[in-house]
Amino acid sequence: MTAAPIPTIAPPPMPVPTDGRPYPVARLLDGQARSILFDAAKCIGCRQCVEACKDWNELPRGNSYTLNPSTWLVMEPPVLEGLASVWGRHSCQHCEYPVCAAVCPVEAITKYEEGPVVIDPVTCIGCEYCIHACPWHVISKSDVTGKATKCTGCPERVAVGQSPFCVQACPVEALDFGLTSAIARQAEERAAAVHGTVYGARAAGGTHVLHVLTHAPADHGLPRVSARRYPKHHIPLGVKLGGLFRLTGGPRGKMRAVTNAIRKPWRLGYRYWHRPQRAD
Amino acid sequence: MATTAPPPAAELFPAVRRTPLPGGYMGKLLRVDLSSGRCWDENLPEEPVLRKLWGGQALATYILLHLLPLDAEPLSPENPVIMMTGPVAGTGLTPGGTKMTAVFLSPATHRTLGRAATSGFWASALKEAGYDGIIITGVADRPTYIYVDDGRVELRDASRVWGLGTRATEDALRAEVGHQDARVAAIGPAGEHLVHAAMLVNDYNHAAAHGVGTILGYKKVKAIVARGTQRPPIRDKARLLDAGARWRKALKPLTFKIEARHTVGHARAWGAITKRNWRETIITPEDAKGFDQNQITPRPCFQCPRLCPWDAVIGEGPHKGTVVHFDAGSEWIDTFINLGLQGNDVLYMAERINDLGIECSHYADGAGLAFEAWEKGLLGPDRTDGLELTWGNLDAIERLLERCARREGWLGNLLADGPKELAEALGGDAPKWVVHTKGGTPAQHDWRPLIGQMLRELVASGGMKPQGGGSKEPPPDLRYREQWGPLADDQPDGWAWSQILSEQHRQFCGQMGACWFAQNANAPDGLNSMVDALSATTGWDVTLDEALDTGHRSMLLQSIFATQRGWRAEDDYTDVGPRFLEPVPDGKYQGFTIARWLPDLIYEYYRLSGRHERSGRPYRSTLARLGLDEFDAWSEPE
Repeated sequence: MTAAPIPTIAPPPMPVPTDGRPYPVARLLDGQARSILFDAAKCIGCRQCVEACKDWNELPRGNSYTLNPSTWLVMEPPVLEGLASVWGRHSCQHCEYPVCAAVCPVEAITKYEEGPVVIDPVTCIGCEYCIHACPWHVISKSDVTGKATKCTGCPERVAVGQSPFCVQACPVEALDFGLTSAIARQAEERAAAVHGTVYGARAAGGTHVLHVLTHAPADHGLPRVSARRYPKHHIPLGVKLGGLFRLTGGPRGKMRAVTNAIRKPWRLGYRYWHRPQRAD
Repeated sequence: MATTAPPPAAELFPAVRRTPLPGGYMGKLLRVDLSSGRCWDENLPEEPVLRKLWGGQALATYILLHLLPLDAEPLSPENPVIMMTGPVAGTGLTPGGTKMTAVFLSPATHRTLGRAATSGFWASALKEAGYDGIIITGVADRPTYIYVDDGRVELRDASRVWGLGTRATEDALRAEVGHQDARVAAIGPAGEHLVHAAMLVNDYNHAAAHGVGTILGYKKVKAIVARGTQRPPIRDKARLLDAGARWRKALKPLTFKIEARHTVGHARAWGAITKRNWRETIITPEDAKGFDQNQITPRPCFQCPRLCPWDAVIGEGPHKGTVVHFDAGSEWIDTFINLGLQGNDVLYMAERINDLGIECSHYADGAGLAFEAWEKGLLGPDRTDGLELTWGNLDAIERLLERCARREGWLGNLLADGPKELAEALGGDAPKWVVHTKGGTPAQHDWRPLIGQMLRELVASGGMKPQGGGSKEPPPDLRYREQWGPLADDQPDGWAWSQILSEQHRQFCGQMGACWFAQNANAPDGLNSMVDALSATTGWDVTLDEALDTGHRSMLLQSIFATQRGWRAEDDYTDVGPRFLEPVPDGKYQGFTIARWLPDLIYEYYRLSGRHERSGRPYRSTLARLGLDEFDAWSEPE
């Protein structure tokens, strides 16, 4: 058996028709959408997925009960593994229509056709718009780099036909990964079997992480999110003003943001006078 | 008595490293001197020492051999507790990278190595806090807990939790330090009262046994709490990912299923369980009655897929709703079945003993003897403070356990000392009914029908959880050099060598910081994948032969430690409770005993492992071959 190559950075995006979307869309592999399935009926709260995420991404250990720059995936509730019986997965939902990407002034967030929504740390200017726009509040800002960070969906693994690292780490098969059509079917079947519900299929216009829930979403630590694309967000006025008037991202970052606004003024709407779009 | 000429401690822990630190290690040991209240960091030994011993039991014992005076008593400030992880622990990319091993002079035997090992999240938490191990010396002047917070160390007052059980202590200290993900290893009342086999319990489900809790109780250390953000550096991540995946694949057939928790556990593997102080062995359906109504949840250790630890919510009977936490073994089931309990009474009591923090075989064999003495009229209510020690009397079993944990009354105090001491105090024929090995107690299963396992229990360092057990055929990965078997279940030929090989590979597993429950030597690639994981982590290029030699070094250091304190190999069969060597009393193995091949089997074991068959001392040539010449003073002249 030979060692699998580990790409250290995401492969260069292969540009695809953007369909008028307000962010870059790219292809990793074959353009077929994939999804993660989280089955709360099977989850035992062991957090091996959480540590696996840290291992793959070489994030610091510890502080693993809340989302932060060194923890991109958490299990809810934030208690020791033996102290709860209902668990939830809280991380990036990899929206089909990611509002985080839509509000980014410098188009640092790419949507891959295979599912992952990925922040490019080189391009990011640290303006925090995405942090406030995300309906699931899964993005945080690194104190060290000043950049936004979150789960990447392991594009470097998906690009070579592998599942995200958290998925392969689950010891009780509560996580699965595959083509969205198959995962959606599987989620419905499992939900029927455990008298539960499927979460994530319609929220924000559809996401690439489906949850089989046994209780109400709030009991699994999940918010209710509108089914509309690019759901309504509340970027604080201070952040908006800061984005306009501060030298966020330094002179170069500012220049990129201004240039983008001049070249694509229609993108500004997602930030400043946003109206969610009706889903199909 | 001769003295060793070890390098002084200052050389052992270099002020400035002259050799590069291999991958996987944090590079630091935490020194805690409780008497002075001082805490400081030491560098790990130089690379040649690490390459020779890796970590775990071997590295800890090597340090202990240098630190412990020859005339020190187990309960004295000089007796340190040395806890050590290994390079693979905490990388997260392999199964079983979870092992911490603590060594000290055993309070049960007074002359052999005490070795306490645990898994769960303790080893990874210690490395996250920035340390490969901890060396605790001295005695605190008040109840204390050690808090290691990402490289910052504090000795804190533990008066508030002194007297609490292990579960309540864990909850209270986690809340006190204010970090939900802090990991706690704590002693219970048994450790505080110096019960000779007190445990250190961590993460609810795990326990380090063989008296580490006794030594910590003597030192007034109630607990150690660790947390941090650091991770061990890895030399070749791609290779480690590959080796870890192969290791997972080899381990997969051993994954525990929920259904296994509806049974009496390991005893089913060969079909004998301890009952009525080892006088009956037949497993009946009533023994596990009601287990299938319990709600079972696996509680796997750090990044390990084998799913050994488990919780249960008892689903029927008088204990309905009680939550119980267990780790990999099932000795606690044998323990309380040995005292006549059945069904969920067994699990209820097992939870009690883990909360009080007593090694279950210590109580199983002590209380078993007391119950037999009651049955035979040797023990009356005058010395039990009114308790009626009839088999299966749950109330008496529980109250006696509480008394043992707190050394209350004549019987409670002797149970705390151990079965051997109780047998002597009872007098009469009691010394013939007792089970012990060199004053400690064997892991509580009825091993008597199994030649390899019995040999393992007898040659272990005095009742500590031993290593090995042998296999009928060599592990698949060793067939390039080992061609023998299948060995017969009822004949001794070949079992001594089989035990040595398995002891070597179990030892090297712990030395790399991995759990032997995560080692599947019987699967192809089961050993090679582990050795490759070590190489990938450290940057070394280790072969399986070298790994076995490394395990062998650990075996020898263990016996050198005991040799220095007066142990001889012949103690392995002379200082044993007679009941342990009696023929199996009933069932399909009725009449079988390995006693008929003793002491020859033990002689053969020592001879084949390069030690003198009577003294147990390694030959000088053995030490030379393994690079342990510095212990020549303790070798056997050839």
